[in-house]
Amino acid sequence: MTNPLIVAWHRMVGGQDASKDVESVPPRTASLVSDEAGQPEAAVLLVLRRLRVPIILVICIFSASVVGLSIIPGKNADGQVIHLSLFDSFYFISYTATTIGFTEINGELTTAQRMWVTLSIYLSVLGWAYGIGSLLALARDESFRRTLARRHVARKVRHFAEPFLILVGYGSTTKGIARTLDAMGRRFVVVDTHDARVSSVDLDGYRADTPALLGDARDTRNLVLAGLAHPQCEGVLALAGDDKVNLDVTMTTALLRPGLRIIAGTTSREMAGRMQSYADCDVVNHLDRFGDHLRILLRSPAAYRLMVWLTSAPGTPLLERRPRPAGGRWVVCGNGPFATELKSDLHAEGVEVTVVGTEDGHRLEEADLETAFAFVAASADDTTNVWLLESARRVNPRLFTVALEHRLSNVPLFQALDVDFGMTPPEIMSIEVMARLASPTLMRLLPQIPHLGDQWSVAMTDRLVERCGRRKPDLWRIHLDDEFARWVQPWLQGDGIPLGDLLRDPLDRDTSLAMVALALIRGGEALPGPSDDEVLRPGDELLIAAGTPARRMLEATLSDPVTAAYVMENRVVPSTWVWRKLSRRGSGLGAAR
Amino acid sequence: MNLEKVIFGFFVLLAATLNFGFFVGDMGDPHMHNIYELFAAVVVNLIATVLKFGDRTQIGAVHLATSLVASLQLIAASVMWTWANQVSSAGLTHGAMAGVVSMSAGALLANLVSVVLLVVETVSFQRR
Repeated sequence: MTNPLIVAWHRMVGGQDASKDVESVPPRTASLVSDEAGQPEAAVLLVLRRLRVPIILVICIFSASVVGLSIIPGKNADGQVIHLSLFDSFYFISYTATTIGFTEINGELTTAQRMWVTLSIYLSVLGWAYGIGSLLALARDESFRRTLARRHVARKVRHFAEPFLILVGYGSTTKGIARTLDAMGRRFVVVDTHDARVSSVDLDGYRADTPALLGDARDTRNLVLAGLAHPQCEGVLALAGDDKVNLDVTMTTALLRPGLRIIAGTTSREMAGRMQSYADCDVVNHLDRFGDHLRILLRSPAAYRLMVWLTSAPGTPLLERRPRPAGGRWVVCGNGPFATELKSDLHAEGVEVTVVGTEDGHRLEEADLETAFAFVAASADDTTNVWLLESARRVNPRLFTVALEHRLSNVPLFQALDVDFGMTPPEIMSIEVMARLASPTLMRLLPQIPHLGDQWSVAMTDRLVERCGRRKPDLWRIHLDDEFARWVQPWLQGDGIPLGDLLRDPLDRDTSLAMVALALIRGGEALPGPSDDEVLRPGDELLIAAGTPARRMLEATLSDPVTAAYVMENRVVPSTWVWRKLSRRGSGLGAAR
Repeated sequence: MNLEKVIFGFFVLLAATLNFGFFVGDMGDPHMHNIYELFAAVVVNLIATVLKFGDRTQIGAVHLATSLVASLQLIAASVMWTWANQVSSAGLTHGAMAGVVSMSAGALLANLVSVVLLVVETVSFQRR
């Protein structure tokens, strides 16, 4: 009888504890959070409310049995009439009604007492069965389970101690991004309206524990529950399949947490404009970006290869080199805004373009494919695209073929067709979003790469492969300020440090660390691929590609005076105070400071 | 008329009246206090407590708190009575009975608060 009460009490106390943490949120969302804090408690209240009748029934049966047993006369060993006291009968009924069973007390019970006990056993079993049955029914109840799941997510999100992102939508696009983020060690919360997608988060096996909330992101409370108001929330990725949802999420985030990082996906220019009118957010239109990718590929395949590699997950192998497409006339086959968009992109690159519609096959012949250099299949579905590519190849087998692939599941079809350049929206989105998320420094560098020429990209790729291997290294940023690079400040503030000297190996300064400086950022300007002679100044930032061991080594140089002195000047400085005093007196050589 | 309100009011009042019935009389005299009345008070108080489960309002929370206090005090009173009657060698003395009854007096106070809350709730409900 007391067990449900104890459980209920624990739940209630737990629920109140949980709602205490909400005070540290920004004021704009405080009202929302206090609303939301009450929501998970609904689970406890629901249990209590549903169990009210069973518990009362058990109490009634129990007390009736106790009173009855103490009223019915019994006999002691001498044959005298005695009554069981209330406590004795409570004790007896306690172990009988809970089906523990023990022994008869005060000698043997009389037949009248036994009849009463038999009745109370059956009644109390009925009571318990009803109570346990209601509890089980509640546990299977869909709405109850959903409430519990929400409560679980809310608790996990509340306890996030590190920065995390909110991923709205968990389709194929977001899955790719989520995997990359997880490989980079970033945390995130998933919000989606589909039950199957939300439960697939558990199956996808991320290294970090990833909360997934089932709910419509257009409902502000769901976003807040997913951590929008959390101080550690560092950004929102609105990548649901529906533009309206993305717009709504962008709007909500911009209004509730102004200044928070937003990356939104859309397929329409109008939506992109609306999103940007609310917030200073990154809008990614994959149809638009397809053309940009194609332009970069046309200008420099090596630059394209490097950019794709730099924005992929750590450990991704480097793609094979592509030959540079030769010049010539392009034929774009497709309808609607995408074909127009592509045409203007290619025009901007100085390419002659013919656009034909996809309505009927005869139109393809008008495009004069025999003399064309490249063919783009850009219709709205994959089947048509495959068919278009086949027909085009039949007319001119030497065509450079480009395809917009819509579904990941159809990628093998296009591979079987041996398409020269094809991308799916998830791939494009993944590259675009990761470029924006990986690091702000990388985002400064990336737009410059296509303009540096094929040679620069080839050289940089070779250098990366030579020093860090064919799998994508980690990218990170070091800031040569007082705090992070304290022990090399004397040199920095003096003549400056040539980059090659900073990247010497602390174990053997004649060799270099296995790392590459991708860019030097000074005064907001990014200098791509600084040479080893580039002199570093205080306050400079470096974007470095390296594995973890090399990274530790460089950090040792920056944060340890003895290592710094060795790396910079090949000088062994005593590390203890006594030896430092002695050596200062003896030779006049002091420590770095 | 709302049946739920009737049942709720019935149990809250019955808890208070049974408690009062047990309490009234000479504190130390076991003949003045019927032990079955104490038992009934415990049971009815437990039922009243369960009935108050799941109310999200502030007044509902206070209701639940008063009932929990009353139930705890009455259970303590019955434990004291059992101890004095069946365990202690001195038996149910004047002092032991006074202890049991004063425990129930504490529970009575909590039950009175509960009744006051019920009245307040009813009055404010009618004003709306």
